[in-house]
Amino acid sequence: MSDSVVVPIERETDIVCARQKGRALAAAAGFLSTDQTLLATAISEVARNIVSYAGKGTVTLQTVQEGGRRGLSIVASDNGPGIENVELAMRDGYSTGKSLGLGLPGAKRLMDSFALESVVGVGTKVTMTKWLR
Amino acid sequence: MTDLVKESSTQILAREMALTEQSVERRRRIVGLEPDDLARIAGIREVVLAQVDHFASVFFDYLSGIEEGRVLTNNRALTERARELKRSHLIAMVGGDYGRAYAEQRLELAVLYGRVGLELRVFIAAFHRLLRSIGEAVMKSTPQAPLEAFASFMALKKIAFFDIGVIVDAVVFERERVIRQQQDAIRELSTPVLQVRARLLLLPIIGVIDTHRARLITDSLLKAIRANRAKVVVMDVTGVATIDSKVANHLMQTVTAAKLMGASVIVTGLSAEVAQSLVALGIDLTTLNTIGDLQGGMDEAERALGYRVVSMDPRRDGAPLSPG
Repeated sequence: MSDSVVVPIERETDIVCARQKGRALAAAAGFLSTDQTLLATAISEVARNIVSYAGKGTVTLQTVQEGGRRGLSIVASDNGPGIENVELAMRDGYSTGKSLGLGLPGAKRLMDSFALESVVGVGTKVTMTKWLR
Repeated sequence: MTDLVKESSTQILAREMALTEQSVERRRRIVGLEPDDLARIAGIREVVLAQVDHFASVFFDYLSGIEEGRVLTNNRALTERARELKRSHLIAMVGGDYGRAYAEQRLELAVLYGRVGLELRVFIAAFHRLLRSIGEAVMKSTPQAPLEAFASFMALKKIAFFDIGVIVDAVVFERERVIRQQQDAIRELSTPVLQVRARLLLLPIIGVIDTHRARLITDSLLKAIRANRAKVVVMDVTGVATIDSKVANHLMQTVTAAKLMGASVIVTGLSAEVAQSLVALGIDLTTLNTIGDLQGGMDEAERALGYRVVSMDPRRDGAPLSPG
């Protein structure tokens, strides 16, 4: 089994914690400093969404191996209110809060793969992966 | 008068810790206190009351006997107060009423221990000694029914653990208060706005920017702009490792607010990594006036204000100062 870290997210300081753990895991997996920052930023975005909209959740960080390539996978999940319109949420500049509305689409651009599942009233789960180049 | 003040500080602590009638009821349930226990405790009340002074002495003798305990016992005035409180504690322990008032009384001792720096493990050891001598007295009081005596003592022990719960929580709460205050202090200290020249401010940002800190940065910058009648601000973010969309938004709002107050902002020190992630996020920072490094930013700011930095060395007159 590869390394995996679960970071409970509740407060803003937890976002920093998730980001730092992500950076450390990425460095250990062999990601270059630029990619470490991109990963940390993506983690920051999804973790911040948890704090802003769900209040409480977790970010799971895991180094993964598939075929011959290695990468880092990030799963952010919460039992919050869920996202009503997933398509709209992925659009640049759309926000139900008072943010720039770049969090989710931005995180998608920072990563290689990105999946958003959300059920209203049940919760939201973002799964994203970045591969080592 | 001092007594009144002490009273109220304990009450404040109780309020901050949310020590309500409800939460105290919850505490009683956690240690498993039942009506049965109350009857048993009432049964050994006289045994305890008869030797209150002795039991209190066991507690304080233990403390004065070990080095870690002397932080309290060397302070005669506080020890007297603690002894008084311990005596009333013992009386209340067998009093049958374990509501909010009882819990609040426990806080006063906890505050006192905290003030002299008595470690929890030492307090707990001393309390254990005290309980042991109560246990012995209870067992001796009814030699013909040891099982009964033991059950009564165990009922009293529930109260003892209820007490320990309150005291541990209070000490931890006080300690966390110190951490909270230090965090606030670090935040304040970590957002300096420095005047470099007349009308030129430098705002170095180092470390993590969260919402609270972003607000502090904006606040202190705007105040400094007003106080120094600043026209140009150099905001250096070399020390910021990660900028996500929220932080970027904060920074842009700060820049806009500064602009409204008549100061233009030059942002310096965006690292290559941060620049790439901002582009990937889709954040448009082209409206910002950015310059590679702090030195370049200061040069630009000085130019904008009409300063010209001249080297003392005539051969290098006019060239910007640089090391080597």
